[in-house]
Amino acid sequence: MPHLTLSALEKRYGAAAPAVASLNLKVAKGELLGLLGPSGCGKTTTLRMIGGLIPVTSGQIDVAGRDVTALPTHQRDMGIVFQNYALFPHMTVAENIAFGLEMRRTPRAEIKPRVQQALDLVRLPDLGHRKPRELSGGQQRRIALARALVIRPSILLLDEPLSNLDAKLREDMRTEIRDIQQRLGITTIFVTHDQVEALAMCDRIAVMRAGHLEQLGTPHEIYEQPATRFVADFVGRANQIAATRDADGTIRAGALVFRGPPGPPGQVTALIRPHRLGFAPAEGGNTAAGIITRVTYVGDLLACTVDCGGVSLTVEQPTLPGLPTPAVRDQVRISWRIEDTLVFPAE
Amino acid sequence: MIHRALIALLFAFLLAPVALVFPMSFSADRVIAWPPSAFSFRWYIALFNETALRQAALNSLLLALGVTLLSLAIALPAALAIARGGFRGRDSLMALLTAPLLLPTIVLGLALLIVFAGYGLIGSWLGLAFAHLLITLPYALRVLSTALATIPAAVEEAAASLGAAPGAVFRRVTLPLMTPGVIAAAAISFLVSFDEVVISLFVVGPKLTTLPVAMYRYVESRTDPLVAAVSALLVLFSLAIVLLLDRTVSLRKAIGK
Repeated sequence: MPHLTLSALEKRYGAAAPAVASLNLKVAKGELLGLLGPSGCGKTTTLRMIGGLIPVTSGQIDVAGRDVTALPTHQRDMGIVFQNYALFPHMTVAENIAFGLEMRRTPRAEIKPRVQQALDLVRLPDLGHRKPRELSGGQQRRIALARALVIRPSILLLDEPLSNLDAKLREDMRTEIRDIQQRLGITTIFVTHDQVEALAMCDRIAVMRAGHLEQLGTPHEIYEQPATRFVADFVGRANQIAATRDADGTIRAGALVFRGPPGPPGQVTALIRPHRLGFAPAEGGNTAAGIITRVTYVGDLLACTVDCGGVSLTVEQPTLPGLPTPAVRDQVRISWRIEDTLVFPAE
Repeated sequence: MIHRALIALLFAFLLAPVALVFPMSFSADRVIAWPPSAFSFRWYIALFNETALRQAALNSLLLALGVTLLSLAIALPAALAIARGGFRGRDSLMALLTAPLLLPTIVLGLALLIVFAGYGLIGSWLGLAFAHLLITLPYALRVLSTALATIPAAVEEAAASLGAAPGAVFRRVTLPLMTPGVIAAAAISFLVSFDEVVISLFVVGPKLTTLPVAMYRYVESRTDPLVAAVSALLVLFSLAIVLLLDRTVSLRKAIGK
């Protein structure tokens, strides 16, 4: 039985197009599910409906088989980490964490050790007496997480918990949140617009677009078998080629001709991930001749823009010692596997 | 440099009449005149024996305290409803409650006189309190609304998600965070009520009058420096309240956020 079930969940504001439309999702106990999409796709609205912060227009939310749709936030037993921490500025860190326990009428003798446990969990054992404004952004983020977890909620809701952090801290926090979530086995909904974050942390990802669920799947499925052009484009980088497909699966874009998966003929968009293109010949795959027009070196990657008969393709190669470095105006042959060609009907 | 000089000049211009009150209040003369021919405490002693003014001062103090409490009691729920409530017409309600500020006080006073006369409210505590509320409420509401607007909604949502019912959210989170605003609203309501004169002139009666009105009446009939002594004390009193306000509010800021 799923731990959290959303059935035909819908949110409308006035007569405008629904912010969230007929959303169905089942989340297993202990699963970390990511809601991924661009801003305005309805991911945060969905999270706020689950948390009871905004009422649903229609549909139902069940937690452990119990309908919670009509319950106010304070009776839902969900831990929420807000995008801007939302720590109580007039309380110390320890008071912040103890707040939820006090509201649950936890005995005083029990509160203190549990607050300390929570502080240990987020690896900030000595900061209990500080005020939130004395902490760094990363520390505040951890305290917000500790405060949400100390009440042992049935579901943890994370609203962009890693935004506004610098890149290094982001990566650390990513692993840390995932570790804690795994250790506690807590069912978690994670809202993000960052596809790398979603791929790295989630058991499954729900990609949303304009209030609709675009695709639900494991990170691997989302990345390797995107269901729509939108998903392929939003998750990961891709060369996009406007083309036509013949009945036998041959794809033509100007002078560039290659093979892709079979499908109905007509106008299509072909997508190829830059790092799946290479200069070494691929056995039985696609090849194309071209001229390098730009080389960008970013340390671990070398990105070459190649003009193949009028179509511009970006090829990304890891920088390995001993490999010849391509240069602008070099004549090259690029190749890729047929299954790395993703083809979607043109929109 | 020239800026500083200009600002100093402006302040001197604004404050000179107030400053003048102090030496004048120590005058030994029988009529107000500048400069005083000699200095003494005689008008402070005279003030001590002037029961009518003392009674009026006590009235004003009680009235201002009562009006302040009433202002907070009405403006706080109103500000909460307007800032956090989800109902329609919140903007209109705010406009309605702050509208008295836009009316000339003389018009308000006259209107109140006409209405109150029919209900026997002239010269009554109830009538005075109501009249003062009309002008203190908009200030209190504005200050409290601003204080509420600076509290992020997410902080209250976080409290609710941790299991706090709406009442507990207000007691434990919202109210402590808006305390500086409450103190400011109280101080402003008190000062506005305490030195309100135009509207009071219309609604005071022979048995119940306020200090500003009593002073106004006094200078109409007498020309001695007694009012200078009253004024000096009033300036000090107002200054004390403002200092207290400044201290408490900035103190809160120092320990709060």
